Amino acid sequence: MAAELKKVKLTSSEGTEFIIDRKVAEKSVLLKNMLEDVGESDMAIPLPNVTGPILNKVIDYCTHHRDDPFVSQEDDSKKVSDDIDDWDAEFCKVDQGTLFELILSANYLDIKPLLDLTCKTVANMIKGKTPDEIRKTFNITNDFTPEEEEHVRKENEWCEER
Amino acid sequence: MPWGNYYIDSTEKGFRKNRRETSLGTLAHLTDEIILEILGYLNVKELLTLGFTSQVLYCFISFEELWRQLTIRKFNGDWWWYGTWKLTYLKRSDPKYDVDSFIKPAINVTHFYSDILFQPFLYSSTGMDQFLGIETIDRRSNLSIDEFNTNYAEKNRPVIITDVVTQWSAFQKWTMKYLLEKYGDINFRAEAIDIKLKNYAQYSVNTLDESPLYLFDKKFGEKCNGILEDFFIPEYFCQDFFNIFGQSRPDFRWIIIGPARSGSTFHKDPNSTSAWNAVISGSKKWIMYPPDILPPGVFTSADESEVTSPVSLMEWHFNYYKETNKSKIRPLEGICRAGEVIFVPNGWWHMVINLEDSIAITQNFVGLHNLSNVLKFLREKPEQISGFSSDSWPSCKTIHETFCKKLQEVYPGLLEKLELHNDSHKDKDNKPSVWEQIKKPDDAEKGFTFNFSNND
Repeated sequence: MAAELKKVKLTSSEGTEFIIDRKVAEKSVLLKNMLEDVGESDMAIPLPNVTGPILNKVIDYCTHHRDDPFVSQEDDSKKVSDDIDDWDAEFCKVDQGTLFELILSANYLDIKPLLDLTCKTVANMIKGKTPDEIRKTFNITNDFTPEEEEHVRKENEWCEER
Repeated sequence: MPWGNYYIDSTEKGFRKNRRETSLGTLAHLTDEIILEILGYLNVKELLTLGFTSQVLYCFISFEELWRQLTIRKFNGDWWWYGTWKLTYLKRSDPKYDVDSFIKPAINVTHFYSDILFQPFLYSSTGMDQFLGIETIDRRSNLSIDEFNTNYAEKNRPVIITDVVTQWSAFQKWTMKYLLEKYGDINFRAEAIDIKLKNYAQYSVNTLDESPLYLFDKKFGEKCNGILEDFFIPEYFCQDFFNIFGQSRPDFRWIIIGPARSGSTFHKDPNSTSAWNAVISGSKKWIMYPPDILPPGVFTSADESEVTSPVSLMEWHFNYYKETNKSKIRPLEGICRAGEVIFVPNGWWHMVINLEDSIAITQNFVGLHNLSNVLKFLREKPEQISGFSSDSWPSCKTIHETFCKKLQEVYPGLLEKLELHNDSHKDKDNKPSVWEQIKKPDDAEKGFTFNFSNND
């Protein structure tokens, strides 16, 4: 259908304009619904919550995944984080700030596969680390009192043997 | 604590910076929902390790829903309740785990605000009183079958019948204590798990869950010796055309047990069947909308094949109940109490919430009043048919044809009469009841009934 070849204009928070295929834009459920409501229009859709560089990355992702089928995930299925393919892994090799911006944008734009991917990436940054290492990674302050820390240590003791 | 408290606290002298940022570090940039989403990917050891890093992360990893999922996935129904899902999981994993020393909260977290972590606590500690009071469902006693058919079945209107269930021996005998004595070691279905009744009972009595696990079992008749003798199908609902399927009929009867706040969000019953729901002990609040009115907070696909009601029962009441008063079409509301049975006409949206510990029986059936609708549903929406075992029915597309064939065998001429009735009475005014139309002259003397015994 001709609609697939149609272009869509998006504007980032700084006002930068991006022109993309409608099919790519529709990876975002938010945009998909907007486009259905607006119908035929040349107007640009403003995205004040998303900066240019981040929008660029998001468009990258959506373009690469444009032909992926829409998967509705069952809530009960076990969540695994070790099924990231090479391209996606490379895509996520960015600094933490960018990664978190991608998460928030995926959330805002309602692009579930991207949200899942970025959340899994953060989960993998937590896995396998000691508490100290986790604190360093995310600049977390240890605000337990000594007694509380002892209490939590005891709570966790059982899993040391497992 | 909810974010509302933040604004009050921030005017205090010496108010420190929001603990969230120091205690979460860079993770503070994310929303609480997203943080919980990430935690869903961690195994138990990883969660506990993360919880050791800071007070706020300790709060996050202790979020009950995480541990509920972990417990159910790993242990199904094979656990004993220890007050919280976290403790239940840890104790089940290690019998030596000293639950008692960890049951009292020992971490004093101040100045941390999170609506999402606070919400379940808010919902589970708020009573239902503010949502009660409206009783617009008819209550009848001394109701003849004819009156029921004319005023309710044929008009597709709900009614609460108050003097039938009181005659059941179940009404006299069934307490949790009694059921536990007889059936305590039998596995019952509770949502996604199978759990022994005695384990479920212990959970049910002690849980503070906002949306408690709900026991809803369709095989209780077969599993529990003698239980079917404790009740009988009220005479209004005895006529059930799905009986002609015999053993291969779709799921049709359930025992329902659950504590306060358990229940079902808005839905329509399958295959256009009607239902009755009898409360043996406890009480249930019902909210019902007619077939063509979509309840607030419910979203469906165009053909109603997919229904989403994304909120829990309590959340719905907090956020949407007020709307029921605002729209022109109000729902029917009522409380079904112990000893009463409610008739749920086919196609009606309904939501049910237990107001206290409750034990109930429910059945779905096809009477003369909804036979046409059921035939239509089976014929036109085979992909939405549910409840038929895939062993007996590898394809749902054959169900309509088989049903018609069997109807012809057992009730010859019925289908033709039904069609005639539907064709010639498309306008609702002056529509004689289906019963009047279908009665043959000589049947009128016997009183028209479809006589069959319930021993399929």
